[in-house]
Amino acid sequence: MSRFEAKKPSVCESEPLTCERVRATLGVLKGIVTSCYGPSGRLKQLHNGVGGHVRTTSQSSALLHSLAVTHPVLKLLTASMQNHVSCVSDCGLFMAILCCNLVENVQGVDVTPTTVIELNKLLVNLCTSYLKSEACGCRIPVDFSSTQILLGLVRSILISKPACMLTRMEVDHMSTLVLRAFLLTIPEKAKEHIILGRSIIVPLKGQRVMDSTVLPGMLIEMPEAQLMRVLPVKKSSALKVALFCVSLSGDFSDTGEGTLAVSDGVCLESAVLDQLLNLGRQLVRDHVDIVMCQKVIHPSLKQFLSTHHVVAIDRVGAARMEPLSKMTGTQPIGSLGSISPRSYGSVKDLCYAEFGSKHFFHLLPDEVTVSSLLLCNRNDTAWDELKLTCQKALHVLQLTIKEPFVLLGGGCTETHLAAYIRHKILNEPGSVLIRDDGRTQTELQLIAEAFCRALESLAGCLEHDGGDILTDMKYGHCWSVQSDSPPVANWPDLLSRCGCGLHSSQEQLSWSFLRNTHDPFVLQSCLPPEAGNSANNLTLDCYTAKLNGLQLAVETANLILDLAYVIEDKN
Amino acid sequence: MGMTCRIINKRRHMGLQQLSSFAEMGRTFLGPVKASKFITDEESNESVFIGSPVRLLESLDLTSAVGQLLNEVLQAQHSTYRTGINTLLFFVGAWSSAAEECLHLGIPISVIVSVMSEGLNSCTEVVVSLQVPIHNQIDHIDNTNTSSGLEAFCVNLHPFLQIPSDTGLIQKEQEPKDVSQSVTIYSLSRKPVKLCKSFRPQAKVEVYKNTSQTLIHSPLADSSSRKSILIHSRHFNSTENNPLINKPDGFLEQPSTAPSKTYSCNDLSELAIGLSHGDHSSMNLVEAAVRLQYRNAGMQQDGGTMPFMFDISRIFTCCLPGVPETLTCVCPGYITLVSISNITLIKELQNQPVRVVLIQGDLTENYRHLGFNKSANIKTVFENLKVNQYSAEELWASHILQLLIQFNVHLVLAQGRVSEHLIEKCLCSKRLVIGSVNGNVMQAFAEATGAIQVTYVTQVNEDCVGHGVYVSFWRSIPLEVTEKKNKIVISLKTEGVNLVTAVLTGPVTAQMQTKEDRFWTCAYRLYYALKEQKLFLGGGAVEFLCLSHLQTIEEQSLKKGNHVCSGWLHNSSSWLASSLTLYRPTVLKCLANGWLKYLSTLMYNTAKYSSEFEATTFIQHHLQNAMDSGSPSSYILNEYSELISGLFNSDISNKLEQIPKVYDIVTPKIEAWRRALDLVLLVLQTDSEIVTGHGHTHVNAQESEGFLSF
Repeated sequence: MSRFEAKKPSVCESEPLTCERVRATLGVLKGIVTSCYGPSGRLKQLHNGVGGHVRTTSQSSALLHSLAVTHPVLKLLTASMQNHVSCVSDCGLFMAILCCNLVENVQGVDVTPTTVIELNKLLVNLCTSYLKSEACGCRIPVDFSSTQILLGLVRSILISKPACMLTRMEVDHMSTLVLRAFLLTIPEKAKEHIILGRSIIVPLKGQRVMDSTVLPGMLIEMPEAQLMRVLPVKKSSALKVALFCVSLSGDFSDTGEGTLAVSDGVCLESAVLDQLLNLGRQLVRDHVDIVMCQKVIHPSLKQFLSTHHVVAIDRVGAARMEPLSKMTGTQPIGSLGSISPRSYGSVKDLCYAEFGSKHFFHLLPDEVTVSSLLLCNRNDTAWDELKLTCQKALHVLQLTIKEPFVLLGGGCTETHLAAYIRHKILNEPGSVLIRDDGRTQTELQLIAEAFCRALESLAGCLEHDGGDILTDMKYGHCWSVQSDSPPVANWPDLLSRCGCGLHSSQEQLSWSFLRNTHDPFVLQSCLPPEAGNSANNLTLDCYTAKLNGLQLAVETANLILDLAYVIEDKN
Repeated sequence: MGMTCRIINKRRHMGLQQLSSFAEMGRTFLGPVKASKFITDEESNESVFIGSPVRLLESLDLTSAVGQLLNEVLQAQHSTYRTGINTLLFFVGAWSSAAEECLHLGIPISVIVSVMSEGLNSCTEVVVSLQVPIHNQIDHIDNTNTSSGLEAFCVNLHPFLQIPSDTGLIQKEQEPKDVSQSVTIYSLSRKPVKLCKSFRPQAKVEVYKNTSQTLIHSPLADSSSRKSILIHSRHFNSTENNPLINKPDGFLEQPSTAPSKTYSCNDLSELAIGLSHGDHSSMNLVEAAVRLQYRNAGMQQDGGTMPFMFDISRIFTCCLPGVPETLTCVCPGYITLVSISNITLIKELQNQPVRVVLIQGDLTENYRHLGFNKSANIKTVFENLKVNQYSAEELWASHILQLLIQFNVHLVLAQGRVSEHLIEKCLCSKRLVIGSVNGNVMQAFAEATGAIQVTYVTQVNEDCVGHGVYVSFWRSIPLEVTEKKNKIVISLKTEGVNLVTAVLTGPVTAQMQTKEDRFWTCAYRLYYALKEQKLFLGGGAVEFLCLSHLQTIEEQSLKKGNHVCSGWLHNSSSWLASSLTLYRPTVLKCLANGWLKYLSTLMYNTAKYSSEFEATTFIQHHLQNAMDSGSPSSYILNEYSELISGLFNSDISNKLEQIPKVYDIVTPKIEAWRRALDLVLLVLQTDSEIVTGHGHTHVNAQESEGFLSF
């Protein structure tokens, strides 16, 4: 007998943002992401409290896994963050902080949400069109004839994740490796559409970071016992490869719900093994040199293959299948029946490599578009962080090939954009407010101020040790200074370089505290021509990721501001 | 309510405090004279006897996040290097209190992180000057020493016989609580161990004595009053009669007949003594194992061109608790324990080559290779009513036995478990089956006998069978000892097998694990030294240099301001870069204090100094001398060479013909420092804990103000 329970009524909450609890939790979330932001950001220990693995991190993608939020407003925000991170990897914290700032800054402002949303859209469009324009003073075109900018970009990403625990030397080493791993994925023969290969991260924990290395082709870990196995005679021609995505372990096919009745005396296992050995015979007949399998190969089949001088590599793993199939030109084989000769592919060479205590098969393709980044770090928690960071850097490099620009980092882009908007709103409000749809100048100025503050406080979030932020009145860059500095100080001596490192304090500039209101000024929007050359020492950000983050932050903030009711089904 | 977020950084840094309190536990493990611990489970009254931090952590409940991280770091060091764990644990403690001190002084976290990290970097660059390439060792030996290392060992042992009683007593004084229930085990078990370990403290103390003209304490004066306790101990004889020399059945040659004039062996002897760090008995076993392996390699290659490499994966241990200590030795081949029921079988198999099969997995009826999924939905239909009188296992076992008979196999080694039924069946047909064999042993037998490892016996064909294995009893152990456990010790050997087993014996069962651990510690130390082909001058020289180097750059940065270490901060545009000048000397001082603490604890633990303060004063005196000399590294080198040439001031050293150097291994040591600092800085930079899932409802009231939740 089933029991019925009276349905609980749904709960409707109006104007969720006015609720104290919602604002408090939003504040906590903002506190967490803000404290993680930047190279001196604070780390978080993520764990389950009962002795599980402890993850130390300051990366948005790792935080997101542990941030189990319940309120719809926060869910909206984390979903956006998740979405952003999965698309462009970088700038997840940037997006989240900006979104929180935008929501927070308009709370006390006496403008209707609809107007705020409308104006926010105008302002973000203003930003993006500026960032996309030739006149943009905070973006540098990437010069692919030198590695300077790309290295600077990777370096900035590595430095911004302190939980990787890298020293300066290690940062340099890893940036070079990541860049090299990426360059190896670019096909040499350029066709109409370039299809980038893959860079695979091979774990080697416990070793020194400096032991990390990059190899062309693919590394597959080898079980110790296989070392003894007979190796194929070196052939001058390419080695023929068969790649299986079906398990060759001798399993029976899944019977699902039903039961299989077998008469006494019939041994299913040996029947399947016979089939496997038949397959083996065909492979030998077809002169295959290397048999690879995503899953497990039955030891008897392995033995059979090895007596016929065929190398068997099993447990390749799902993640490697796609790049392997591309690299070798094989068609992954999904059945134990007969194999079409077209499924076979080839590799140029098969070698054996030893790193640390591990042994590897090293597959070298004819044309290298796959690289293996052998990644070392001293302990698990730092290794996890480094892996995530390298993956992010590799992704960012891919994005940079698509849109060949980088943005100035270290908070300079944010303060520069804010200065640009302020100037634009004051001097050319007409160009912003195109249609006369009831938005007044005052409203525009109020919301623009909130928007600029939101951007500028992002630059302030880079500071975690109680420093203050200044901005110069020429380039609109961001400068950090000790908190108890006198209001009128000898700035050129107190400051050294701006956040991104492009400008020095000796350039006859004037400064103002970011927290003080200052008059808008005309931006010197042209980048010095030597910007690209000194890029190795600059702090740079990914153009695509930041642009996407900016747009998504405003969209999400608008969504949150637009929430009038939250209706929750309590059943 | 999915998670909570705990703010760590309220006023005092909880994480750092936890770290230093965890590390405090390992303090007594530092140095050659280790004070062991008993860990008692209050509920079950079971206790564990431990002598190393790794074992300590195994027995502790570390559910806090910081404890977990510490455990992870120690395990990582352990699995990569198997050594340096004491150092690592100590520095975790020392530097976490150093970092906390900096926090109290109001130094920004980012500054602490970059200065400490770069300070350590700078030290690791400087200590390169104290590296000794191993090939230079050969020259030293050639000039000064023509006797073999083992003889040297015997000579050196005598003057130090007084020490063990001393250390044994100190240990009791330090841990009065632990003695209560286990006094008997304690006093019996510790002494013989300590006896063998007496070398390093002495050598180490000498280093400092030699460099000091002002503070000389004779260790004899401290310890002579107690020496009578041990002189008459029956254990005394067991160590004096070096078990390696008195091998009755000649597994090992007498050291004097060993090829002592070849460079490699001379080299090895000094190396081994220098790396033994006081644990002479273990290191002697290791050295003997290396010699055996070397001879093996020589026989195999017939003087080939391949340089000899010490392959630690082919060294094994076999622990025989309850067997007299005198039987401890190294033997070629594989020594293992088998059931006493095999006794007649082995008698029959003795003295004839047998054929062997190597099984990679379990040897049971229902074992399947990894990755094989047994389908549950298969039903067997019996067509006729005749009920099978044999069980499936019975049928399987007879099938396997038939195969073994067919290939004339009398020995089966399996990596996993073996079916009892099969063992019995094989016993009846004079076939020996041994389970739980180490994978490297299998590999070695595969190489030597030509066998190919298989997963199932059904895979066996003529090519897979190895031949020429000799099974025999491992010497005559008194039967009453072995019968208690129903086990006998056997030895498996074959022509040219690259396998050496160290048989570790001892009357006290509780001590076996410590013994085994110490053997491996020594083995890995020697392994890394030979692998890296370089060493550090040991005995605290490296740490002393770090100390003086940090003081040098500290003074430099005070004098020259910001220019010395520009670029120490990742982000040079931050205001922190300019404030480095202000804070750097303080942070460097705190970092250096870690090494000072290390040295003083080491000296205090070796019982030379009555207090750590006294030791600290002594070190600081020398630090001043080194600084005044202008070049700390050459100061150390000079003092060190004086030590080697035998210019000793104390009585005890005059009796010695030679004082061997003390060495440390390079990479594991530096890595231990780096890992320790990395952990401290990681925890330092952590400001909150995010706890996911359930089971955290009880919130400590004191911390509750720091709790936030969603």
